[in-house]
Amino acid sequence: MSHTFIEDTSQTERVKKATPDKPLLPEWMKETKEAASSSDLIYGQPVIVAMRWILVASGLLLILWNPDSLSVMRVQILVILLLALANFYLHAQLLMKRPVIDEVVYVSSAVDLILVTVLILIGNGFESRLLVYYFPAIVSFSVVFPTVLTGTYVGSTIAVYGLIGLISGGDPMIILTRLLIIAAVGTCGNLYLRIERSRRKEARESQEHLMVQIRERQASTAQ
Amino acid sequence: MTELRSAAQEAAEDLFFGQVVIIWARWFVIISGVIVVLWSSNNTSELTTAVLMVVPLIAINFFVHGRYLMERPINQNLLLGLSLVDIIVITIIVLFWQEPNGYLSPYYIFYYPFLLAVAFVFPVRVSVPYTLLILILYSVACLVTDSSLVADPYQLEGLIIRLITMATVGGLGAFYWRIQRGRRRAAAGHGMKAPASS
Repeated sequence: MSHTFIEDTSQTERVKKATPDKPLLPEWMKETKEAASSSDLIYGQPVIVAMRWILVASGLLLILWNPDSLSVMRVQILVILLLALANFYLHAQLLMKRPVIDEVVYVSSAVDLILVTVLILIGNGFESRLLVYYFPAIVSFSVVFPTVLTGTYVGSTIAVYGLIGLISGGDPMIILTRLLIIAAVGTCGNLYLRIERSRRKEARESQEHLMVQIRERQASTAQ
Repeated sequence: MTELRSAAQEAAEDLFFGQVVIIWARWFVIISGVIVVLWSSNNTSELTTAVLMVVPLIAINFFVHGRYLMERPINQNLLLGLSLVDIIVITIIVLFWQEPNGYLSPYYIFYYPFLLAVAFVFPVRVSVPYTLLILILYSVACLVTDSSLVADPYQLEGLIIRLITMATVGGLGAFYWRIQRGRRRAAAGHGMKAPASS
């Protein structure tokens, strides 16, 4: 009887493309250190896409609910629709099971942060109520991107928001509190990513060890 | 075939490995809380009251972190109980710690790290009610402090933005938890038939 592996996720094929060969294990189980980030991206991309749809839907709802002046509303709707278009592209890639270039995902998350920052700037900086949109944006990439990149993005957000807060005359204590919570969300997300990566590595290693033992037993029985 | 890892064991491992995320979320909130307390207290009695609220949180987190470092993490019920204490303390801060309170209090952001950390550690059947509880607690805290909020479109819009983003953070955490569980199961060979002798 041959070995049968039941692959139950649609993303398995895409992970195969991101992982090099290794003996003994089926391809979808392979995940070298180099490929870990790439497969994290593949699996984590639905989180980013879902976050962005929520951003688009809630943004549109709020614009239509309490409209500002016509000119501002035009710009807001245009920005939301462009964001929706970009997200549709990424979502379509996911649905067609096509691998998205890593850099595209990195840039699109940076654009999310820039967009929130611009909206905060327009909305009186420190007084803007849109600060809270940083949190879902940070969650979505902190559970996907490598630590260095997450650190860079979160660090830049902290630096820029801190500056905006101070320039717009915000209370330094409240600014500091906000910056700490932004850091907390980024840290928690990335910490969880690292924990899960380590758990998967252990699971793979024990699986590989088990497979070796089973094959050795089969070989000795056959003899 | 018999699975190598039971669902109960998997849940226990989730708790074992994941609770450090809750611990770090709590440390961040404690640090922020200490800064707020030291910075904003106007007199010694106010500082004393505030410190009395922060010290138990620090003691709790030392205990939990210590147990984790000794590889004897606390059980699910205690961890969940402490997570409830966290959000009750934050709600008290939103309601009573210096004016402005309620919707205008800037300390509602303390909810976010806990929303995320709990969604990472507990299964969806726990994390979703936890998220809902936070949304209800915060909404009630805002309405109790100033019920005219409902009649003010600007403030109501602000409240809804906060509730949407809180729900999103909790929801994304739970979504990611499910993705990771699937990946882990795949890596551990769940659903895989063992090779049989030919």
